[in-house]
Amino acid sequence: MAELSFPLPDLGEGLIEATVLEWLVAPGDQVERNQPLVEVETTKSAVELPSPQAGKVVRIHGGPGDRINVGEPLIVFEVPDNTAGIVGTVPTEEAPKRRVRLSAVLDED
Amino acid sequence: MDTLPLAASGGDAGPLSAAELRRLYSLMVAVRHLDTSAIAWQRQGIIPGYAPELGQEAAQVGSGYAVDTTRDFVFPTYREMGVARTMGVDMVGYMSTHKATWHGGLYDPAASRLAPIQAVVGGSVLHAVGWAHGQTLAGPADGKLGVALTYFGDGASSQGDVHEAMNFAAVMKAPVVFFVQNNGWAISVPTERQVAGGSVAARAAGYGMPALQVDGDDVVAVVDATRRAFAHARAGHGPVLIEAMTYRRGPHSTSDDPGRYRSLDEERDGAGVDPLERLRQRLLADGIADEAFFAEALVAAKAEEEQIRTGIQALGPRPGAEMFDLVFQETTPALQAQAAHWREESEHV
Amino acid sequence: MSNSILESGTPGTEAAATVMSMQQALNRALDEVLAENPKTVIFGEDCGRLGGVFRITDGLQAKHGTQRVFDTPLAESGILGMSVGLAMAGFHPIPEVQFDGFAYPAVNQIVCQIARMNYRSRGTLPMPITLRVPSFGGIRAPEHHGESLEALFAHVPGLKVVSPSNPHEAYHLLKYAATRPDPVIFMEPKSRYWQKGEVDTDSADAGGGAPTGAKVMREGRHLTLVAWGAMVARCLQVAELAAEDGIEIEVLDLRWLKPIDAASLAASVRKTRRAVVVHEAPLTSGLGAEVAQLITQACFSTLKAPVERVTGFDVPYPSGDLEDEYIPNIDRILFGIQRVLEYKRG
Repeated sequence: MAELSFPLPDLGEGLIEATVLEWLVAPGDQVERNQPLVEVETTKSAVELPSPQAGKVVRIHGGPGDRINVGEPLIVFEVPDNTAGIVGTVPTEEAPKRRVRLSAVLDED
Repeated sequence: MDTLPLAASGGDAGPLSAAELRRLYSLMVAVRHLDTSAIAWQRQGIIPGYAPELGQEAAQVGSGYAVDTTRDFVFPTYREMGVARTMGVDMVGYMSTHKATWHGGLYDPAASRLAPIQAVVGGSVLHAVGWAHGQTLAGPADGKLGVALTYFGDGASSQGDVHEAMNFAAVMKAPVVFFVQNNGWAISVPTERQVAGGSVAARAAGYGMPALQVDGDDVVAVVDATRRAFAHARAGHGPVLIEAMTYRRGPHSTSDDPGRYRSLDEERDGAGVDPLERLRQRLLADGIADEAFFAEALVAAKAEEEQIRTGIQALGPRPGAEMFDLVFQETTPALQAQAAHWREESEHV
Repeated sequence: MSNSILESGTPGTEAAATVMSMQQALNRALDEVLAENPKTVIFGEDCGRLGGVFRITDGLQAKHGTQRVFDTPLAESGILGMSVGLAMAGFHPIPEVQFDGFAYPAVNQIVCQIARMNYRSRGTLPMPITLRVPSFGGIRAPEHHGESLEALFAHVPGLKVVSPSNPHEAYHLLKYAATRPDPVIFMEPKSRYWQKGEVDTDSADAGGGAPTGAKVMREGRHLTLVAWGAMVARCLQVAELAAEDGIEIEVLDLRWLKPIDAASLAASVRKTRRAVVVHEAPLTSGLGAEVAQLITQACFSTLKAPVERVTGFDVPYPSGDLEDEYIPNIDRILFGIQRVLEYKRG
């Protein structure tokens, strides 16, 4: 078995967070794909998130009233090894990445 | 309202056969299931956004069903998934626009006879007139013209381009069918705050164009109206306006919240009876289909959605080089230089 | 929901400096403008009951009434054409075009009418119109929802153009723009709507005064990065990274894209002697060319290298999957900086 984390997707156009209203599942529950997991509220609307897959709920993140950033883990499933990794992810706000280093001889003339 | 002359508009297709009615049902179930699934995909992070068409299946499947893909051409908005499916467009290619893979979708518009998905409200209505006039200029091969079918909504009917398109088409007697899905809402603004006079079809009289206002939730009525309009246009009698009265049962898009501008009671009253359920009852009453058939249709719809979902999930980003390669037929040195810079400075080489 | 003026209380009753998102800052500025000037009217597609698709006008109709804040039919040319008549009748219209790409159908009214009416009427019919346009890219939106139109508008005689980079700037620039007697295109960076920041409602800039020019967001002595809108935040990140390499970068938020504050540009580059301008819009005939010319004009003899441009490409704004390839990223900006740093006179 493997653990598979489902990060909070961007539920609007460029939204950065959502607030948990109510969890509809609990750790230990066996859920089916598209089964409602949680109701969240964004600055645009309140929506119910359907499960991206079948599996056993291992952990949930955030209780009612807690804010979760887009891209952060919302729920973790236990799934058979061969189904792990099929879920799409959203780009997360990461620390600035760079490949380029600057070099210069800065004369102060 | 029906100002389309009956004498001049006898389509060559007779009444819908039992097999055709079952086919329409299967199409509507496939569209309904894919549409509702796409909302789940968005909530699951598979696609960034989607514009659902819940409640408009009869209008879309019924009108798309009348298209002859060997000679007609269809100009959609961003909410014509049901038309695309009915016309047999590759649905992974179609849905890819909602995955933010490519703006117009990845299907081949020329081969499938469906113009690229149009994000601008009312943006493609004039294109249909130009394409249709081209059919007139080229001359019909067998005395029958290819017809342009252009979609827009009650909201788009406010745009100046839509007036220009109807006037051009009527002046030029272009073979165009203007298909308005009046779904009651332009995001948050209801039809009565959008369409003066309450009817888009009523405007056709001002252009001397025949118009049909049809129950857009009755798929049989929609097929019949669209076939009649096509026959009229195909025979060289000029454009026709069809206003299909329907209801946007869902949000405008997955980022919309209808609770801010309409109540659940208003939704229930406005939506009326589900178009899919209406067809189901009709097929049952006429003894054309039974529960086993309906169950089979749903199983097929689910299998199809599964396949499209898998295809969408497997779809990677397009190579960044396409940004540069697809701007012109003949590229420019300046653009090539920018592409070279991009190749050098980007990680996605 | 806590993003509307209804929950955030009466204007002016809170402490001057508060943390809010750009969406809240814009909402608050509009609320105050409506309260202060009875001739102000706000309208556009879904601006009223819904509060706009980005909720910028959230709660304003409920508070100020359907006469002051209202929904229009879906027709951008109609919205802008109507603004001309309202301005002639003595109102201060603040229309909204829902997304940047929807401004194109309104270009005829903006360019041929709004921009020229004051001139045509010999100053007797001013056009105090503040056109709000959610602008630029970065949110994986559909086509026509990620465009950068500043060069197009800045090119039109008779228009002024401004773009805020953070909530504080958004609050002050909108309040200022909405009290001007001339048409202002107000370009809101939609990818920054929900980012929070401190807003000092008392004072726009250190030392007081109206927010009329460019603003130094970070001081440095080796090179000036010039940017506006969402690119300012990215340039501040770049400056942070460059500091690790011993390069001290000054970040200048241009704010006003027309008129451009040439004096502040000159003052910064006279000090740093090197400049890179960054924008999301395509390269050719982008506003970067104008900035480069103004810098060259003022600093030709002291410049150590030609002004570099790091921009979007001359391609239609791409779909979400390719957005990050198109918008100047940190590496591309660093490459641009490096080209300037290692430039040798031939």
